[in-house]
Amino acid sequence: MIPRLFFKIVNLELRKGMSYRVDFWVNAIVSFFAAMGVMYFLWDSIFTASAQGRIGGYTLEEMILYYVLVILIAKLVRGPNQMVGIADDIYKGSLTKYQLFPTPYLVFKYAEHLGSLLPAIIQLVIFGILSPLIFKFPDAMTITPITILTCINVVMLANLLFFALSLPLQLVAFWADNVWSLIVMNHFISGLLGGAMLPLELFPDWAVSLLAYTPFAYLYHFPVRILTGHIGHQQLWMGIGVMSCWILLLAACSWLIWKAGNKRYTGVGI
Amino acid sequence: MIHVQNLRKEFTVHQKPPGLLASMKSLFVRDTITKVAVKDVSFHVDKGEILGLIGANGAGKTTIVKMLSGIIHPTSGSIDVLGFNPWQRQHNFCKQIALIMGQKAQLWWDLPAADGFLLLREIYQVPPKEHQEMLDFMLDMLDVRDEVNIQIRRLSLGERMKMELIAALLHKPQVVYLDEPTIGLDLSAQRAIRKFILEYRDTVQPAMILTSHYMEDIERLCKRVVILLNGQFVYDGPLQDVVKQFSTHKIITVKMHTPGNIPQLDPKIELLEDNGDELKFKVKTEEVGAVSQHLLANICGADLSVGEVNTADVIETIFSDSI
Repeated sequence: MIPRLFFKIVNLELRKGMSYRVDFWVNAIVSFFAAMGVMYFLWDSIFTASAQGRIGGYTLEEMILYYVLVILIAKLVRGPNQMVGIADDIYKGSLTKYQLFPTPYLVFKYAEHLGSLLPAIIQLVIFGILSPLIFKFPDAMTITPITILTCINVVMLANLLFFALSLPLQLVAFWADNVWSLIVMNHFISGLLGGAMLPLELFPDWAVSLLAYTPFAYLYHFPVRILTGHIGHQQLWMGIGVMSCWILLLAACSWLIWKAGNKRYTGVGI
Repeated sequence: MIHVQNLRKEFTVHQKPPGLLASMKSLFVRDTITKVAVKDVSFHVDKGEILGLIGANGAGKTTIVKMLSGIIHPTSGSIDVLGFNPWQRQHNFCKQIALIMGQKAQLWWDLPAADGFLLLREIYQVPPKEHQEMLDFMLDMLDVRDEVNIQIRRLSLGERMKMELIAALLHKPQVVYLDEPTIGLDLSAQRAIRKFILEYRDTVQPAMILTSHYMEDIERLCKRVVILLNGQFVYDGPLQDVVKQFSTHKIITVKMHTPGNIPQLDPKIELLEDNGDELKFKVKTEEVGAVSQHLLANICGADLSVGEVNTADVIETIFSDSI
């Protein structure tokens, strides 16, 4: 696919994402404050009850900062409503439309996936500015222009990794029709093992070492720790290497599943 | 441009009897059956020709169109469209075909058609000037210029179908599949779309395949038809010859000099229409002579003529006889 077309698709999807104003604001405000409210009150109670200044190496302020960042970054990594986009196309027969285009379907869908991130980017900017006014953050902030730039690049890679991770599961729709349970499982497991629910430092050491070789640790925890300046050069390059290997492996698996699944496609609904 | 040889498609489908017990059983074991949707069909379509694919629901028309456009894989047989095997979905093949589905929207629901057209220009890599000329021609022809900047989901069904047609034909495809393009549309929209299809055929000279349940679509657009019954090929030839080949009845028209004077007739003679001074009877071909004599003998002062049953009725009879 030529880059010009890729960016046109991204652009088209950006406009689609902004078509529903009410949905945008409800999604932005409710999802952020609901998730952040739960985490704030939960950890405030845990810190008060434990009477410890630090848990897993985090102070309460650092823990709050971690959750603000992980909630906002997770929106960029997962994208809105795209987790079942491909499975839905197969199930409802909308894949037919894309199959007729002289473009690779999976690249087309990734461009759409990227385009759908604009609301998440706007939400990130809005709550990135508002959060320090609402929550108490650590006095010595370690976020710098360098860590922000590095984090942006890693988030882009994490976004591709999440897409690659959900792809084989979505393609199971060629056989199973409804793959919602697989997608929910992926969402839950990647959230738990990726640091979206708990910082990975709270896991046992052996689990943290093991997770370093899985794709999950690089989805949410890794970009947040890069942003807050806790990842060194060596760790950064090793992380990027592991992410790239997983992306290639998952893309190869997806390609094989796609080839086999296509022969079973019946284009229902037309 | 399109050559189909011994095309066959089988589907494996799950079967589940009604009831809770059967639903629970299907969680562990499922019964499957193989359905033959298309049985050894062969035909060809030439440049500039519109072929009508006729059949009742489930006859296999849409399955054939799906195989010809490369959406589904045939079980056996061969397809050659513009020298390509559709199933390989090569980009040069995709750039030269279009599939218009009356029951499935292809444009982007949340965006105005204008945005969709621009993206399609990029997808098919049509030069901007050529794209604009074609777009202007089609917008004017279908009279939807004022609707082009309105979200697709806010358009009426007719306007949406017109936009779908434009979207599908903007890249001037050499092969066009029209799957029930006028379904659900009012008469004026149907007429506009038929006129547009003929205009496109005259301008671009593509090979076209049309499936429709509306006989008027077939009669106005297709000179040649293929009739399918339960996935099987039963006729390939000129539309007007369908009547000669399949009709088992004739129509006898009796024009009476004195209206309103209908005598008692043999109850086996089916009266189709009674327009006061004109009566129409549907009669088996082999009984035309005897019935004509009977009518002339019983109706005083009348002119009698024998004609053919109309094509739509013949096709309907073919389908109903197969059930």
